[in-house]
Amino acid sequence: MSNVNVTAVDEAALTRLYDEHARDLHHYLARRLTPTVADDLVAETFLVAWEQRARYDPARGEPRAWLFGIATNLLRRHARTEAATLRALARSATRADRAEYPDVASRVDAARAGPALAAGLAALRREERDVLLLVAWAGLRPAEIAAALNLDDRTVRTRLHRARTKLRTRLKEDHHV
Amino acid sequence: MPENDDNVRDMWSEDELDRALAALQPAEDIDERAYHRAKAELLVAAGGREPAQEPVRTAAPKRRRWAWWAASAGTVAAMVASVLVVQTVQLDNAVPSAAAVEQLNWAAAKAVSVDEPLAPGQYRYIATHAWWMASMNEYSYLAENLLETWVPADEKQDWLWRRDVTGARKWVSGTEQEAREAGFPIDEAGWPEGEWRAPCGDWFAEEEGREPCATPGSWQVPNAEFLASLPRDTDELYDRLRADTEDRGQDPDLEMVVYVADVLRTGLVPADLRAALYRALAKVPGLQITEQVANLDGVHGTAYGISAKGQRHDVIVDPGTGQFIGERQVTEEGYENLPAGTVTEYTSVTTAVVPAMGVRPQG
Repeated sequence: MSNVNVTAVDEAALTRLYDEHARDLHHYLARRLTPTVADDLVAETFLVAWEQRARYDPARGEPRAWLFGIATNLLRRHARTEAATLRALARSATRADRAEYPDVASRVDAARAGPALAAGLAALRREERDVLLLVAWAGLRPAEIAAALNLDDRTVRTRLHRARTKLRTRLKEDHHV
Repeated sequence: MPENDDNVRDMWSEDELDRALAALQPAEDIDERAYHRAKAELLVAAGGREPAQEPVRTAAPKRRRWAWWAASAGTVAAMVASVLVVQTVQLDNAVPSAAAVEQLNWAAAKAVSVDEPLAPGQYRYIATHAWWMASMNEYSYLAENLLETWVPADEKQDWLWRRDVTGARKWVSGTEQEAREAGFPIDEAGWPEGEWRAPCGDWFAEEEGREPCATPGSWQVPNAEFLASLPRDTDELYDRLRADTEDRGQDPDLEMVVYVADVLRTGLVPADLRAALYRALAKVPGLQITEQVANLDGVHGTAYGISAKGQRHDVIVDPGTGQFIGERQVTEEGYENLPAGTVTEYTSVTTAVVPAMGVRPQG
């Protein structure tokens, strides 16, 4: 019965992990791809997590970062979907009417920046976009990203810096157009 | 709007950039049904998979299914995993230990007298009715699973195993109508059904590329050699159980009951060993008669159990014959939608001698 008990404990842990992070992961994946693709990728992320659970090392970071790392790797197979999503976004206005923009001026700026941002994101190298959006959309710290993607901390910071510089340049150019 | 390059740079500070990104493409929340179905699916998949040493490419599952709490056909151990049954019992009427010891030893004395030997060509027939739980979201029901095993006198010959989800259901949480209206696929059978044949009852040896009969026996999957090797002396058997359950399970005493139930559930335990197991069980501190007349689908017996870690495991014995009737698990703390006192894990076992493989006993 011991095997069964071990399994039961693992399944309980898996359930907890899902309850704590599935919505968050879906939110992130839906933004980068589409909600429908995100449905499948969330399921896939947890299946991979389950299969690789023996390799999860708590010393290297929170399970949340680990899950986002898995999702990021899976996301790479959907490059075309992401490109299409960003193209569509670059053509459309952005909703910047959320509570995080209390004053009208910054709301307007952010809304205007939307299409340019999307175009800028589309133009980034994939690994730069991964790092930038893990910070901006998933709220991970560079050190967590390094652990989750099995990268050197400095590599992550360099990619992040490059991504930001490229985006800022793009926004500035856009402003002058 | 900024008027010059310096202002542009000021505006697009890291923080501003992050905030603009945060406003970009806010996504809708996950659809609730997709959320719960993916969760149920995940549990199914997890129940049937072992962790891989290397990353495995996994396709996202396409079908939506219930979470089956005792789902996997992959291992026999998984088959007997904990299950939940809709039945509640009183938690405060346990009879103290001393009476339990006396009655269980009495049952042990009865047990020695009943054992039906197999003549050549005959088979031992073991029928296990297991009510296993399927749950999805706030809906849970128990499905009756009938497991039938035909065991030859010579265990190296072919055994037969039939599994059937009978279609009988008991709703634990929610109703069938509610679940149907909410769109849950309640008619999908989840547990494996079918027929297996293999020497030694080693059902998955071929599938797993193993020689059948090569796996040593255990409390969970005993063979004749293993059963013969267990001591019949009460103290020795007790010590053996302690040694084999050490560091396993959630509680040392509870695990003693779990192991005894594991081996008795197989229906393969000879009468002398059954008696010894009852006597050994009677030595476990804290063993109580948890119900004098426990009802397992119309068959009555005395329930002996241990409580620990918010749960209880009962072994149910016919006081008249010492026959093992079944077992059950009770949650004593409640669990999500299940109140305290809900019977969890419930299997009843009957055995008979039949003239041929595949033949059920008369009557």
